[in-house]
Amino acid sequence: MSNIGIDLGTTNSLVAVVMGGRARCLLDDDGHAILPSAVRYTAEGTVVGFAALDDAAGHAATTLTSVKRFMGRSMDEARAEAAQLHYELAPPDDAAEEKVVRIQVGERLVTPIEVSAEILKALKERAEECLLGGVGGAVITVPAYFDDAQRQATRDAGRLAGLNVLRLLNEPTAAAIAYGLQERSQGTFAIYDLGGGTFDISILRLEDGVFQVLSTAGDTHLGGDDFDRLIAERLLQAAGVVGARGGALRAAMEAAEAAKRALTDADSTEINAQLGEVTAALTLTRAELDTLIRPLVDRTLSACKQALSDAQLSPSQIDGVVLVGGSTRVPLVRQVVQEFFGRPPFSDIDPDQVVAIGAAMQADILSGESELAEDVLLMDVVPLSLGLETMGGVVEKLIWRCSPIPSSASQTFTTHVDGQTAVAIHVVQGEREMARDNRSLARFKLGGIPPMPAGLPRVEVQFMVDANGILTVTATEQYTGKQSNIEVVPSYGLTDEQIEEMLETSIDAAETDVDERLLVEAKVEADQILRAVEKALASDAALVQEDELSRIQAVVTDLKSAMDAQERKKISDLSKKLDEVTAPFAQRRIERDLQLALQGQSALEVAERLDRSTI
Amino acid sequence: MICWKCHERLSTLRCASCGALAPPPAQPELFGALGLDRRYHLDAEVIDGAWRKRSKDTHPDRFAAASAVERRMALQWTATLNEARRVLRDPVTRAWYLATGKPHPAETGGPKLSPEFLEEIFELRMAADDAPAAVRDTAAQLRARLDADLEDLFSRWERGEGDLAPVPERLSRLKYVDNLLRELPA
Repeated sequence: MSNIGIDLGTTNSLVAVVMGGRARCLLDDDGHAILPSAVRYTAEGTVVGFAALDDAAGHAATTLTSVKRFMGRSMDEARAEAAQLHYELAPPDDAAEEKVVRIQVGERLVTPIEVSAEILKALKERAEECLLGGVGGAVITVPAYFDDAQRQATRDAGRLAGLNVLRLLNEPTAAAIAYGLQERSQGTFAIYDLGGGTFDISILRLEDGVFQVLSTAGDTHLGGDDFDRLIAERLLQAAGVVGARGGALRAAMEAAEAAKRALTDADSTEINAQLGEVTAALTLTRAELDTLIRPLVDRTLSACKQALSDAQLSPSQIDGVVLVGGSTRVPLVRQVVQEFFGRPPFSDIDPDQVVAIGAAMQADILSGESELAEDVLLMDVVPLSLGLETMGGVVEKLIWRCSPIPSSASQTFTTHVDGQTAVAIHVVQGEREMARDNRSLARFKLGGIPPMPAGLPRVEVQFMVDANGILTVTATEQYTGKQSNIEVVPSYGLTDEQIEEMLETSIDAAETDVDERLLVEAKVEADQILRAVEKALASDAALVQEDELSRIQAVVTDLKSAMDAQERKKISDLSKKLDEVTAPFAQRRIERDLQLALQGQSALEVAERLDRSTI
Repeated sequence: MICWKCHERLSTLRCASCGALAPPPAQPELFGALGLDRRYHLDAEVIDGAWRKRSKDTHPDRFAAASAVERRMALQWTATLNEARRVLRDPVTRAWYLATGKPHPAETGGPKLSPEFLEEIFELRMAADDAPAAVRDTAAQLRARLDADLEDLFSRWERGEGDLAPVPERLSRLKYVDNLLRELPA
């Protein structure tokens, strides 16, 4: 059995494992390390990853992306972002439903936890295929800035996927392990992690084999998606589209993302996108992109300053800067980071893979039989202070931000009324002075206090933050020694029973799930090929020979009827056959495009044409 | 001490023969938890070194595959080591802990301060708006005197002379002076 490391990202997810003393990411059948964090719900079941993203604009309402943003969040918190989504959040019926985000997918309602579990299941299956000895436990990474509710939701998603979650690990810490264990370095490092949806900065010290997190700061709602959104807004504005939703919004976001990628190397790029009825075209230069995203990039620097000040360090005392996350490929980000720390950042390990690699190393260390590092220890910190609401709504802090974990604190409570047998306690997380400005973690009643005169009972409540950064609470009445019954309702709203129920249904469904998944995947793939062939036939009919056309049409007809009959094997075989019979036609189209290029069209136009020649 | 699991003699927190962790003490002595002597004069680096060394034995990550009981012990131990490091690393809380055995001053019912001292602080506060520089100088001198006083008390105590009874009162004064310094206009 091997332990695996999983990077459950906003945009992409990966799974890695240590084999033969080296950590490596596991690849899918097409050689991709990344699995897009996208899940499409169809009548036949779920599709995950690249297949789910295929024609996402055409299936906007059922293709769920970036759900990590809603992990452990209440409807109230999610509502602000609802307008920017291409899928619909379900309005809650009562206060209990208000606590957890639910997404309306056709007739179904799904929670971000269930969607994340689908992604984790796909990664688990990939690992099971690659590892002969089977999958042992898993380390799953989370943004360092994730609060208690977000961590609990992530752990629950892991359980729901049938994983034995050994540990939740902060993403920047994972990146530091990947670099630290590889380079065997000592010193103080800054890990700058800008992903699709979140930003984290952590300062770590590596000394005597201990990775100590000195401080951490960040923003759970800042990432590459926000860059895309700004570009998409510019595009929609240029096309005169107001209040875009669904498919048009999704198409604009896809075009924006492609433009952002193009501008990593190019100084200027043309954006052309079909936004519903409207065709949008826009030229975007690198300088314009920089101006557009500058305020967001600057926001990352204020978090960097915070982290340095918490660690009582200046930028010049940092021995190295590690870049993590695909969004650190944006040139402005690199430039700004280099200016701030006064040194070029490290980027030897693929910024997309470094977190998963570090997670696999930690998973290996946790096995107790590590070939990598017998003597390495990771000391993480609690990212946000934990406190209690006291009289007048003021917060009394119990565990301060950046305390090493595990960490415990205790507090004694008493009663205000004679014979009072219960005390209400409200635990919050955050740095603000007033309880209402912080995140509410749990409200519970300390019950079973023996009736005594007011002020006499002494109830000691112990708070313990474990190595995953998750809080547990226990209480004892000191005079009677009676353990009080505490009912802790997790604020993100799923009770243990609900999780158990989801688990049971998913285990029952496991067998039919596999067959369904294969069928769905085959159909999605076939659909993709069919659309490409039909498009090519329509645009370049002149390039098809007559007998060739009838052969192609015959296969197309067979494939369509196999799809209607849900015959998986036949669908796969006919898809391959269609690929084969259209190959000469595709070849001619490519040659024609090259001819056009020689006739003096711009390289960019040709590249676009070639890009569209998908068959 | 004898290992609770395999009954071998223990020389560190973690049994060399079976890997079991010694049970965490219910009311831990924080210097002892880190394996340090009770002293006021301690470098932060020495404390951090001891903390790192012991944490390597106790951290829950070392017991990922162990029984639930052992995992709880590891959690408790490591939380204790983290508390010990936090309390002992700061000279003020370290002094308080040595003198009182408590990790932090109680909210109420601290040592009584002399009316003369409180009067002096009050007057400095009153003068702060008009002559911040002069007030800062005076407060800094007060702080230096308190520091020297504490230094003297602890040095003698470490040589086995005198006791730490006056320490809480000095620390209370220190807090007043520090609060004043912090609130002075820059």
